[in-house]
Amino acid sequence: MSGTLDTLFSPTDAVINWARSNSLWPFFFGLSCCFVEEATAWGPRYDIARFGSEVFRGSPRQADVLIVSGTMFKKIAPVALRLYEQMSDPKWVVSMGSCSNSGGMYDVYSVVQGTDQILPVDVYIPGCPPRPEAVFDGLLLLQKKIRAGEKPTRPVLHLPGGCEGGRADHLLDGVSKSRDTRGPGYAGIPIRGTAATEPRFWGSRTEVMWTPPAARISLRPDQQAVAADLAAAFGDAVAPAPDAADMPTYAVDPERIADVLAHLKHAAPTRFERLEDLTAIDETARRNRPDHDATAVYTLTSLSTPGMVRLTCPLPDRDAALPTATGVWPSAGWYEREAAEMFGIRFTGHPDPRRLLTHRDWPGHPLRKDYEGRATGMAPFTREDCARLEPVDAREILGPRADAGDYLLNFGPHHYATHGIFRYVLAMRGERIRALGMDIGYHHRGVEKIGERQTWHQFIPYTDRVDYLSGIANNLSYVTAVETLAGIAVPPRAAYARVMLSELFRLSNHLMFFGTFLQDLGMMSPIFYALREREMVLDIIETITGGRLHPSWLRIGGMAADLPEGWKDMVDAFVRIFPVRLREYHAGVTKNPIVRARCRGVGAISAAEAVDWGITGPNLRATGVAWDRRKTMPYGAYGDFDFDVPTRTAGDCYARYLVRMDEMEQSLRIVEQAANRMPGGRHLSEDARYSLPQKADSLKDIESLIHHFVNVTRGPRLPPGQAYAATEAPRGEQGYHVVSDGGASAYRMRIRTPGFANIQAMPLLAEGLRVADFVAVLASYDYILPDIDR
Amino acid sequence: MPQATLFAPVAGPFSPWEPGALPLVVFFAIVVGLLAVILFLSGFLVRRRPTPEKQRPYECGILPTGDARFRYPVPFFLMAVFFLLFDVETAYLIAYAAAWPELALPGYLRMAVFILVLGFGLAYAWAKGGLDWTEEEGL
Repeated sequence: MSGTLDTLFSPTDAVINWARSNSLWPFFFGLSCCFVEEATAWGPRYDIARFGSEVFRGSPRQADVLIVSGTMFKKIAPVALRLYEQMSDPKWVVSMGSCSNSGGMYDVYSVVQGTDQILPVDVYIPGCPPRPEAVFDGLLLLQKKIRAGEKPTRPVLHLPGGCEGGRADHLLDGVSKSRDTRGPGYAGIPIRGTAATEPRFWGSRTEVMWTPPAARISLRPDQQAVAADLAAAFGDAVAPAPDAADMPTYAVDPERIADVLAHLKHAAPTRFERLEDLTAIDETARRNRPDHDATAVYTLTSLSTPGMVRLTCPLPDRDAALPTATGVWPSAGWYEREAAEMFGIRFTGHPDPRRLLTHRDWPGHPLRKDYEGRATGMAPFTREDCARLEPVDAREILGPRADAGDYLLNFGPHHYATHGIFRYVLAMRGERIRALGMDIGYHHRGVEKIGERQTWHQFIPYTDRVDYLSGIANNLSYVTAVETLAGIAVPPRAAYARVMLSELFRLSNHLMFFGTFLQDLGMMSPIFYALREREMVLDIIETITGGRLHPSWLRIGGMAADLPEGWKDMVDAFVRIFPVRLREYHAGVTKNPIVRARCRGVGAISAAEAVDWGITGPNLRATGVAWDRRKTMPYGAYGDFDFDVPTRTAGDCYARYLVRMDEMEQSLRIVEQAANRMPGGRHLSEDARYSLPQKADSLKDIESLIHHFVNVTRGPRLPPGQAYAATEAPRGEQGYHVVSDGGASAYRMRIRTPGFANIQAMPLLAEGLRVADFVAVLASYDYILPDIDR
Repeated sequence: MPQATLFAPVAGPFSPWEPGALPLVVFFAIVVGLLAVILFLSGFLVRRRPTPEKQRPYECGILPTGDARFRYPVPFFLMAVFFLLFDVETAYLIAYAAAWPELALPGYLRMAVFILVLGFGLAYAWAKGGLDWTEEEGL
C-alpha cells in the first residue's frame, strides 16, 4: 500500500522539489570575509538570480537557506543558533568557507571549530574564501540534494513518512566528528606543537642562529627636545630606553603615567595629540626574562610635528593596577578595557571596567602566556555553551543610560545596516536615538594570540583577513613593521609594486563603500556599477597574485613573485576606463538631491573631537585634518609619488562620501605613476637571513635553496626588540606593533586597527539622530568587523 | 441604407441586465467556496512546527529587552495624516483648475471658501506644533 502511494506521490514530490530547489531564499546572514564573496555572487558578472536565489532575506522568517558565510565565533554562536531556529521550515544550512566548515586557519580560543557542532549542515563549500563560483557550486549541490533525497508530499499532506528540509542533527565532537587538526585516525597519538608553538622544541636551531641586533634610531632635534623636556619635568620617573628601533621610547613609572600622558598632550615642546594605541605585554615567558611580569605600552602620535613616541610602564605582576588614561584621552576607554580583559591588569578610575571583546562570563585572560590559545586544546563548543554565552541584556550594555529613552532596541548583531556582526543598543524615544551603546567582540578572531605562535612568515595570511576588503594593504602594515625591526631594505621594484597593489585595494575597498553606502541610503543601482568596476580591480589583483580577497602576496623584504606578463596592459586599461566611470558615479549620485538631503549635516563630528578620539583615515580627513601617513610620514615608496590629500571640513556623511570619492581619483593617479615608472630588478630582498630567496634562484644554487628551506620551515629568527609601523590603509591607520624576544615568531603581536578607534566615537555622531540617519552614518563611516574586533 | 441594429441584451437567468437574486446567490457561493478552499489549503499545507525560539520576536538575534506594548511618540504618523489631507486638496484643485473656464466667478468663490477652510486648518496645525518633528511632546 505504502509503495503504491509512493509511486502515486513521486510526481508531486518532483513538482514540489522542483519549485523549492529553484527558489531557495538565502538568509542575509554574513559572518566575515566569505560574505563578501557571497554578496559578489549576487552582483553583476556572477548573478545568483540565474539559480533563483537572488532574494536575500533580512528576516529569518522569510528565508529557507542559511549560508553560514564566515567564521563561527563563540560569541555569535548563540545568535546564529537562534536565527536558525527562527527560520521557517523546511530549511537548509550551507556552510561556506573553511572557518565555518572546521574553524579553518582560526584554531583559536574564540572560534567554534565547525558550524556543524551547533547547526545541522547540509552542504559544505570549501575555500578561504570560496569564490563566487564556489557559492554556485554549493547552491547547485543543495538543489541536487533536495531533488534527489526529499519526499515532501507526505509531510505536506500530513501523512506519516516522507521527508523534507535539510538534516536536523548537529555533530558531536568525538562521536560524529573529529576536531583533530591532523585529520581522522590519529586519536591515539597526542597532539604536539609545531616548530613555532609552545611548548618549544628544545634544541631548535632557531635558538642558536645568530642575528644582528635590531635597528636603532637616532633622535631628531625635536625628539631630543621632548627627551630633555621629559627629563626636566619628571626626573627619574621617565627613563629613555636605549634600544628603540622605530620611535623614541621611554619607561615610565606606572604611578605617573597619566601625568606624563597629559604633559605630552598639552605641554611638551612637541604636542602629541593622538593616543595611537594602548596595550600590554605579558613578560612572563620571555627568553630573557625582565624583572617585571607585565608591561603596559602607550603609543602616541603627534600630528603637528609628524612623529611618534612610545611609553612603557613596567608592572610588577599581571594583576597590577595603574591609573586610567581616560581623563587625558577619552579614546583610552576601550583600549584599557581590552588590555584589562586580555591581560588581567587593572586601570583604577576607569569609568566602565567591563569586559569588551569577550563575553561577560568568559573565563581567563586570553593574551596571557599561560592561556590555552587553541580551540582544539579546549573542550568542544556545544549547544549547551550557546546557552551559557547568551549575549547580555541590552540594559547591561547601556548601564545607567538605558533609561534615557522609552525603550531599548537591539540593532544587530544580525542586521543589514551594521555591515557585519556588530551590536548597537539604542535607547529610543520615538524615532530618536537618545543613547547609543555598543557591544563588540562578536567577530573577535584572536589574531593577536595567533600571531604569537605562527612564524614571521606564516602570519602573513592572517593579516589579509584583518581588514578583509583591503587584502594587500594589510600585508603592507605587517611586513613594514617587521622590516623596521630587522632593518630590511626592500628592493625598489617590490616597493613600487606594493604601492600599486595597496592602492588597487584602496580602490576596490572604496568601490565597495560607494555601493553599500548608497544601497543603505536606498539606492539599488550604484552597487551594481561599483561591483562591476571592483571586478576589474580584482581581475588585476588575480592576474598578479592569483588571489582575490586574500592574496597574502607580500613577503618580508618583498613579495611572493615577480609581476607576471600582461599586468601592465590590464592596469593601463583600468586607468583609462575608470575616470569615465567615476564621472558616471558623480553624475548619478553626488548631485542627487535626495543623497544630499540624507547626508548633509548628518552625523557630523569636529576635527578636534576626531583627533581626540583617535579617528583616522577618510573619516578624519572629512573633518578637515589633512593628515595622511602616505604624505606626512611616508613609508615604503610613497615618498616618490605625486598625489594630493583630499579633505573636506564638514565632517558629516556627505563629507566622508566626497573624501572617499576624491581618494579614488588620487589612488588612480598613484597606480598610474607606479605602473609607468615600475623599476626593474629583484622582487625580494637579498637579505636572505630574513627574506625568502627568489624562487628561481632557489632552483639553481644550493645556498638559496638552503635559505629557502630554512626560512619556509622553521622561519627566520628576528632580533629581540619591538617596532611599530603604521600605514594608511583604506579605512585609516593600521599599525602593527611587533615584539620579538629573538625567536622564530612574535613574542607579542599587537594590531592597532583604525576601526577600533573610529567606531568608539560613534555615540558622538549618532546620539540625537533618527534611526534612518543612523543607518546613513554607519554606511558613511565604512568600518569592517575584523578590523574592530580582530 | 442598412438599418442600424439596436443593442439587444441577452435575456436569461444570469443576464446582468435583469438583476435578480439568483446570480447574487451563485456569486456569493462561489466567493465563499473559493475563500474556503484557499483558507483550508493555506492552513492545511503549511506544517506548523512551533518551538519557543521560533515564536519569540525577532530582534537581530538578541533576546528583546522589555515589553513591546507601551506608548511612544509617533510624529511620523501626524506627518502622514497631514500629507493625506493636503494631498486630497491638491486633487480637488487640479480638477478645479481644469474646469476653470466653465466655473468662472461663482466657482472661484466656492473654491476660495474651501481653500480658506483648509488654510485655517493648516494654520491651526502649524500653531499647535503639528508640523514640528518633536518626540518630546508627542505623548
